[in-house]
Amino acid sequence: MSTPVMSLKNVTIQFGGVKALNNVSFDINKQEILGLIGPNGAGKTTVFNVVTGVYQISSGVIDFQGKSLAGVKRYRITRGGIARTFQNIRLWGDMTSLENVVTATDTHKKSGLLSGLFGMPISRREEKRDTTRAQELLDFIGIGEYSDRLAKNLPYGVQRRLEIARALGTNPKLLLLDEPAAGFNPAEKVELANTIRKIRDAGYTVLLIEHDMSLVMQVSDRIVVLDFGEKIAEGTPSEVQEDPRVIEAYLGVQEDAS
Amino acid sequence: MINIRDKGAQVWENSGRTGRVAIATLVIAVVASLPFMGGTILNTPIASYESVLVYPIAMFVLMAIGLNIVIGKSGLLDLGYVAFFAIGAYTMGLLGTKTGLNTWEILPIGIAMSMFAGLVLGVPALKLRGDYLAIITLGFGEIVRIVALNLGALGRSEGIIGIPTPPPVFGIEFSFDSHRIYYWTLLIMILLAIWMVRRLSARRAGRAWESIRQDEDVAELLGVPTFRYKIWAFVLGASVGGAAGVIYASKTLFIAPDNFTLQISILILACVVFGGMGNIWGVILGAVVLGYLPDRIRFLSEARLLVFGLVLVLMMNLRPDGLLPRKKREKAIKAKEAV
Amino acid sequence: MIGNFFDQFWSLTFGGLSLGFIYILIALGYTLVYGVLRMINFANSEIFMVGTFATVIVIRDLYKFTQSSEYATGFRLWLVLGTALIITMIISGLLSMVVELVAYRRLRRRNSGVLAPLISAIGVSMVLAESVRIMTDSRPVASPRAMEKSFIGKFFDADIRLDNTIIVIAALLLFFTLWNFINRTRLGKAIRAVSMNPSAAKLMGIDIDKIVSATFLIGGVMTGAAGFFYVLKYENTASSIGFELGIAAFTAAILGGIGNIKGAFFGGLALGLLETYASFFLGTQWKAVTVFIVLVMVLYTRPNGLFGESITQTRV
Ligand SMILES: Nc1ncnc2c1ncn2[C@@H]1O[C@H](COP(=O)(O)OP(=O)(O)OP(=O)(O)O)[C@@H](O)[C@H]1O
Ligand SMILES: [Mg+2]
Repeated sequence: MSTPVMSLKNVTIQFGGVKALNNVSFDINKQEILGLIGPNGAGKTTVFNVVTGVYQISSGVIDFQGKSLAGVKRYRITRGGIARTFQNIRLWGDMTSLENVVTATDTHKKSGLLSGLFGMPISRREEKRDTTRAQELLDFIGIGEYSDRLAKNLPYGVQRRLEIARALGTNPKLLLLDEPAAGFNPAEKVELANTIRKIRDAGYTVLLIEHDMSLVMQVSDRIVVLDFGEKIAEGTPSEVQEDPRVIEAYLGVQEDAS
Repeated sequence: MINIRDKGAQVWENSGRTGRVAIATLVIAVVASLPFMGGTILNTPIASYESVLVYPIAMFVLMAIGLNIVIGKSGLLDLGYVAFFAIGAYTMGLLGTKTGLNTWEILPIGIAMSMFAGLVLGVPALKLRGDYLAIITLGFGEIVRIVALNLGALGRSEGIIGIPTPPPVFGIEFSFDSHRIYYWTLLIMILLAIWMVRRLSARRAGRAWESIRQDEDVAELLGVPTFRYKIWAFVLGASVGGAAGVIYASKTLFIAPDNFTLQISILILACVVFGGMGNIWGVILGAVVLGYLPDRIRFLSEARLLVFGLVLVLMMNLRPDGLLPRKKREKAIKAKEAV
Repeated sequence: MIGNFFDQFWSLTFGGLSLGFIYILIALGYTLVYGVLRMINFANSEIFMVGTFATVIVIRDLYKFTQSSEYATGFRLWLVLGTALIITMIISGLLSMVVELVAYRRLRRRNSGVLAPLISAIGVSMVLAESVRIMTDSRPVASPRAMEKSFIGKFFDADIRLDNTIIVIAALLLFFTLWNFINRTRLGKAIRAVSMNPSAAKLMGIDIDKIVSATFLIGGVMTGAAGFFYVLKYENTASSIGFELGIAAFTAAILGGIGNIKGAFFGGLALGLLETYASFFLGTQWKAVTVFIVLVMVLYTRPNGLFGESITQTRV
């Protein structure tokens, strides 16, 4: 197998006395869907936060495409090819769906403020290209008809999907999804599972945090399990499901892990 | 009131290219002929209608458009906007009296100076969160005034006198009492500023600012170089303030630190807030109303700043989006679909 | 110059210390409110300004002192100073509560972000400063001298002035009262709980509105006391005074780490001394510039202050 898209090596991060991540290591390979699961407070979102540069890790290494992410500015990490969604939806509410996605596509525009101001051809071309692309992404995610609606007025499920479309707008190599199915009904979950597979088939690599076991077992190629900031298991869905440590971790908090 | 805005937007959006050109030409023609349409009723107790059109009205409108880029578009609270106005004015004052340069030659220098000041202030200040930015900019505005007050080269409290008026353009003479000419000069600058803001708003910069205003952390995580765009907003806002300052100095012929107090910053802020942060037409309306009324109504001009303070509190509490809030695009588009 | 500085070192230091204690009290106003709201109370400076006027009015109109009347001494002196201080503290405290009601409460209920309350507080401070300016005709107002500023001793070469001594001792007492209040009483602990984690405090059944109101009251009381001491020391005031001292006191709060009571103490002292020494070398006209440069440098190099929390980062 070729080199992993991203690899975490002995990553530790501490908040005050709490180790939110303790010596966590795992790889994610190209065009893979890697599930990241664990009880509440296990440190899943924290993984996203350290990868995207929200927090600096206390020790360890995060390599993305063979290069360390240490000290790289957040927006540069995104430009480099990592994009995420947010567990608690954080869209730009006063923009339309389309604008939300177009703003994300700006990441890769060559034209800046001045070429926009003077209406240079490159700016116009890129505007046109990316507006089209943003609409395509909305269609791809299945929310094309909402493109002119303000994000804050969208139904909940559409907002969740718009988060994904917006992240795809940055044209990432690695897509981080933080509980994209939270609050979905079973039918919506099935549809989402299909969408995630479609995303992977389109060439993206996906790191998926999800509480719904059947969903995550169904779509993931491999799964990493965290508990109290430590990796307690890694493997294929069936391996992980049978792992006694995983069963133990989940038994303790069964009611949360629904 | 809301309907006027949406109607206007709708008419504009539904007009073709020629329609738009016609509308714009008509509006500009009407606005440009304002000096002829006033009559004496609009005179204020202290000044003629024509001079009021230049200062405060047109000057406030220009500065409010500039400040709106910073506060309305990008959500950065700049309480030291007067500093850029002052830097423009002092550049004009110094170069105009000490060198042979004329107003039009000094204008780009003044703009460059205030942009540079915006950069110098912005680089440390824009790393900080909103309310710290407010304090830093507030302090900066005061510093510029204090420096002017204490540096011999800037004339201390006497300021600079004998600043030249602009040389004639196409044979039109600028003399300090030919208010119309200054009004038209400012009008051209206002139109340029409107063009700039509208152009930028529709493109990448506008989206970057908008995303920063709404959720800066998320903007950065989605690849928006937030710091760079905040600096741009700051510097562009400063450029407009500096341009206003150059013209101001070249009109009043005399400047002193007292013309550049914190109150001016608050005043312009009130114009922006009153009209509607982020909406350029609202901001213009706000500046016209707040520029004119306190001068016209005698008992108000005494307590002008008191009124502005009240405006800030009341608007924030009762109508935080201002008289003419930002356009909600959704509505306009829906209306189009319905047709 | 340097030689002069050492000659005057102790007298400068005493002056700086008493100024520092005035800053501490105003900085407490900023810091307490910042603690519970995570917002700068822009109107705090004007509460200080109103406080100075309250003191002048009590001394002048209640006790009918004039520039030529005899100084109060003994019991009468303490009576004059005591009532002036208490009335000033009450007025400032109440005013501070009103400010919260007018400028913040509605906006907080509506959850309207940082910008709106900031602007609304600036509006309130504008209204306060301008009202007083109009009432005083933009002129500074001198306070009659109620007490003789006698020297009560010497320290090295420097005379120890009575007013400076009173300021330092009284401000220290106030500070420790506040310290105990915050750490020992129920209300104080509730305020701390809200500062640390508003949502958790709410879950615990703490009435946030009440706590915020109480915090403004206490902050206003402290800030008002500063107004009293200011008049005692400088014997005049003006409607513009709030702005001048406000930004310095705010800098003091930042210097120590805003949101932190201990920070206000050390920040206030440091700034009072620094400003006094700097004025000696550079002249008083550059005082505001010095303060500003300190502010920028602190925010830039050590944004958490000496004891404070992070202000550049937000949680995602
Ligand atoms: N900025 C922070 N400061 C202090 N503690 C933090 C911070 N961020 C996360 N934590 C702690 O780290 C731990 C892991 O949090 P994290 O959000 O990663 O959990 P999670 O696995 O995503 O849980 P959930 O399923 O509830 O989303 C928690 O105990 C949390 O309180
Ligand atoms: Mg999480």
